[in-house]
Amino acid sequence: MTDFLKKILFIDLIKGLSLTLKYNLSKSFTIRYPDEEKWLPYQRFRGLHTLNKDAQGRELCVACELCAKACPTKCITVVPMEDNNGIGIADRIAKIYEINLVRCMFCGFCEDACPTTAIRMGREYELACFSLDCAKADKQRLLAPQEIPVEFEGGYVIKARLERTKEGIRVRPDLTKKKRWW
Amino acid sequence: MATVKINGKEITVEDGTLILDAARQAGFEIPTFCYQARLSRLGSCRMCIIEIGGQKKLQPSCVTPVMHGMEVFTENETVKSARASMLEFLLANHPLDCPTCDKGGECELQDFVFKSGPRRSPFSESKRRFHDKDKILSPVIIKNHNRCIHCERCVRICDEVVGRTALGSIGRGAKIMETSFMDSTLDCDHCGNCIEVCPVGSWMSLPYRYKARTWDLKEIDTVCPYCATGCQFTIGARNNEIVRVKSKITTGINKETLCARGRFGYNFIQSEKRLKKPLLKKNGKLVESSWDEAISFIKQRFGAGKKTAGIASARHTNEELFVFQKLIRDVFKTNNIDLDSRFANKWVTSSAIEVLNLAAGGISIFDALKAEVIFVIGSAISNENPITDYLIRQTAVDRRKTLILAHPRRFKLNSSANISLRYKPGTEGEVIKGITDFIEKGVFHGNVVGDISQVGEKFKNAKNITMFLGADILRLDNGTNVVAEIVALKGLLKKAGKNIIIQPLFDRCNQRGARAMGIHPLFLPGLKKVKENGMDCGEILDAAKKGEIDSLYILGEDIVSMYPDAKFAKDALSNIKFKVVQDTFLTETAKTADVVIPGASYAEKDGTFTNQEGRVQRLRKVISPVGNSKDDLDILCSIGGFAYKSAKEVFDDIKKEVLGYKDINFDALDGNGALVKGHGAENQGSRVKGQGASEIASASPRNDTSSNPYLDEYPFLLITGNHLFHSGRLSQNDDVLIKLLAEPFVEISEEDAKELGLTDKENVKVKSSEYEAVLKLRVVKGSQKGVAFMPENFDSVSVNQFYKKGQGIARVKIEKQV
Amino acid sequence: MLTDNTIENIKKALTKYPNKQSAAMDALRIVQEEAGYLTEDALLQVADMLDMPPPELNEVATFYTMYNKKPVGKHHIQVCTNVSCSLLGSEHIVEFLSRRLGIKKGETTLDKKFTLSEVECLGSCGTAPMMQINDDYYENLTDGKIEEILKGLK
Repeated sequence: MTDFLKKILFIDLIKGLSLTLKYNLSKSFTIRYPDEEKWLPYQRFRGLHTLNKDAQGRELCVACELCAKACPTKCITVVPMEDNNGIGIADRIAKIYEINLVRCMFCGFCEDACPTTAIRMGREYELACFSLDCAKADKQRLLAPQEIPVEFEGGYVIKARLERTKEGIRVRPDLTKKKRWW
Repeated sequence: MATVKINGKEITVEDGTLILDAARQAGFEIPTFCYQARLSRLGSCRMCIIEIGGQKKLQPSCVTPVMHGMEVFTENETVKSARASMLEFLLANHPLDCPTCDKGGECELQDFVFKSGPRRSPFSESKRRFHDKDKILSPVIIKNHNRCIHCERCVRICDEVVGRTALGSIGRGAKIMETSFMDSTLDCDHCGNCIEVCPVGSWMSLPYRYKARTWDLKEIDTVCPYCATGCQFTIGARNNEIVRVKSKITTGINKETLCARGRFGYNFIQSEKRLKKPLLKKNGKLVESSWDEAISFIKQRFGAGKKTAGIASARHTNEELFVFQKLIRDVFKTNNIDLDSRFANKWVTSSAIEVLNLAAGGISIFDALKAEVIFVIGSAISNENPITDYLIRQTAVDRRKTLILAHPRRFKLNSSANISLRYKPGTEGEVIKGITDFIEKGVFHGNVVGDISQVGEKFKNAKNITMFLGADILRLDNGTNVVAEIVALKGLLKKAGKNIIIQPLFDRCNQRGARAMGIHPLFLPGLKKVKENGMDCGEILDAAKKGEIDSLYILGEDIVSMYPDAKFAKDALSNIKFKVVQDTFLTETAKTADVVIPGASYAEKDGTFTNQEGRVQRLRKVISPVGNSKDDLDILCSIGGFAYKSAKEVFDDIKKEVLGYKDINFDALDGNGALVKGHGAENQGSRVKGQGASEIASASPRNDTSSNPYLDEYPFLLITGNHLFHSGRLSQNDDVLIKLLAEPFVEISEEDAKELGLTDKENVKVKSSEYEAVLKLRVVKGSQKGVAFMPENFDSVSVNQFYKKGQGIARVKIEKQV
Repeated sequence: MLTDNTIENIKKALTKYPNKQSAAMDALRIVQEEAGYLTEDALLQVADMLDMPPPELNEVATFYTMYNKKPVGKHHIQVCTNVSCSLLGSEHIVEFLSRRLGIKKGETTLDKKFTLSEVECLGSCGTAPMMQINDDYYENLTDGKIEEILKGLK
């Protein structure tokens, strides 16, 4: 009986549609990535590596190659050299510091191995590109500050803008406009 | 014999064995810092402390000998905690800058701390710190005092093994510093043995500084390409680039030691100046070409005329030399093949081969050094064969042994010698005759500075005698006379029932192997006599001068720079219609060639070297040949059309031809190599000597009478040889070795310098009838008067320009430069 | 450079020893007596005279605190800081002296009168704390006593 009533009164349909309607009116959960928004990861996130500098702007990396040794995929190449111009904190600096991002599995062992906290996993994760060249992160790229500062707390969705350049597509975040995802 | 119980395990050892050695024999590892097998015992690091049953205090095992019935504990709790405390004390002042330290990864302190060290330290005081920047003490040595743990291995090895005493412990207590005099730039042998023995990163190699970490390196054991001592070492390469050479305490006759050229002379391999492509002479100019073009050009032109000849360098492997002689003998059908070896004539070399008994198989240098009397003649051994010098020095410490050195120059080993003899170059025969006469008749003649009678006494009283015969005698035109005198002395001593060993001292790594491979106009491989005598180097050039040689194949030898009479050599070579030079650099000789083929250096090929003892050692490929150059063996095979694919296949053929090599397994050659066995060839030397006698008489040296105006004008006899930092012309292409010594110099005795009013390090004019040059003067106390020495290693002032063919040893005068 | 007189004295000293190297300490003492301290040149020259490698002689010269490697003042104050003296306050004495003279240990006053240095045990432990000025011992030191001694030296 009740079943019959339910059928003729479209109760199930109304139930279903009401849920749809409810979500239709509630706050949107879709991250409009990459055109308008992007996800800003937490600080502990393991994205593209960065090489740190100390307060005086000297490179912290002493090219001890412990990261390369600890790396399970052997994707880090370090070649040290001597430098007496105060570029680094010691007279030993990296001549070549290169990470093969295609091989890297972002495990963060390099971070653990580093005796001077020079290498750290950053929060950049848009690593796709058009050529294999950019799959290699060289010292210059690693030393350049990442878009999202270290102290910036993560776990947000932030406003972003899609940029098409010759090198590839970049999604530039606007760090001032952030919103909680949930 | 004493029986001791170590950790419950009984072991019987000789009386007087150290507990450390006994424990190691029993299979227990005891960590040590200051202990080094060949150095004197210091017992200062206290790492090796062990407990002896019944004794309250722990004892250092590296200075305590075993006693019968002793009970030793090396691994109980007391010992372990004491060890940990010792390490804690060492770490109290150790900077722990392992990430930037070149030793990190192979540091003994690191290893021991990791294994048995304390995990934490209560020391909070600031660490001892001498300096912030590391101190550069020489072009190859850099020092960090902060890391030093005062084991004094460096000081002891410099003093006891190298014999230089360039290092000392400055200061006292915890602030001691192991360094050079006043911490200034080292005036030393630059051998780098201090680097090798340093258990921490206090001494470091400057060329290797911050190049790689130890675990990056592909390390391959190989043999040194410089002198014929035949040191084993390990080449470390990173990304096909050689970054260091290291010796190993476990392998080779050299163990942990090397000399400057062995340890730092690897940079020529990657030199910019290396030949990378074949060069062909077109319109009088050498231009780059392809391999196919070059090889087909050689095949077409070489051997086209009547007379063909080949000259090889003793820096090549046995396999290459074997194939080379096959090429010259089998393909071009001639016996005109010779080795450079100071351009001695074939009768001298063949008689030397006889007296050295090269056919009889190798004698280990350690057996040779067991003799009570060690007599070295004809080699400035400290410069020519530095590692042999170290071995002899260590032996000579024994008071029951007598070391006699005979050479015109005074050199480093003289400070360890019991008797030093000085003579004029060319009179080696007289020295030996003097000894023979003294033993036989009790009287002697001859113009020798030094006490020959004392030498004679020592020879008389000894049971075992070892004579080291240097390559200098090969240089002499009257070399056969010297050899004859040695034969006479040997016979006399043999008759008296003494054991006599004659060991050669060669200046090129594979001189002995080359002779065995048949690089000689009189001998086939295995030192078998040829049917028809060939021409030696000198004869080839003579014939060339007359225009009788049509094609000449030069394998890695720089004749223009080395032949005693540069002008003559150049003229002679220019008369040859077709010359092929196979070398690693564009040498003066290569510049005159019609085809230049780029060969490979020692680190780029496989093969074997036979050192002066007769020890066959493996040379292993570390990196691929630079640029477009090729393995020499491949080149020779493609020219000769031989089907050998690898050095091993050639070696298998060598085994068939050279009986002494029969039992050697190419693949199984390890760090100690294998001594060759007796060849079993009959003694043909005496026949050879008989044949040569007449020719020698004609080529005897000029008479040294005093009333000769020529002699008055040119009072100095000019001798030459290798400098400690250089070997032949190869090492001048090495940018590290060239930093150690960039310019040639002339060395005379202090007496002469005083007479001429000259002082050390001033520029002087050296003049012979042929050539003159301005050189820096070096004055040496105690050298023979009237003898000048010049290293033969530099193109800038090539010593052979002073020589004139047929005059024997060159004569020069030295004057103040105005 | 060594004076002829020094060379003469060293040569004389050499005759007293079985071999040349044994005379090392004596020779260095002679040089120091005449020149006040040991220079690099002097060490090299002595090493040459004694047939010793220079680093070896340098080892001797730097091991003993009695050999001065730098010029010292007229009065060389050497304070013992080994165990006995240390327990009885030698550290305070060094501090007092350095305050009083206005120099740190190892330094010389501007008027070249005093040099203050710290040395190992001088064998006068029974009368600790103590110091040695030039060749004389001053024992059982107190601040007042030091003050008096210094006045006496002026």
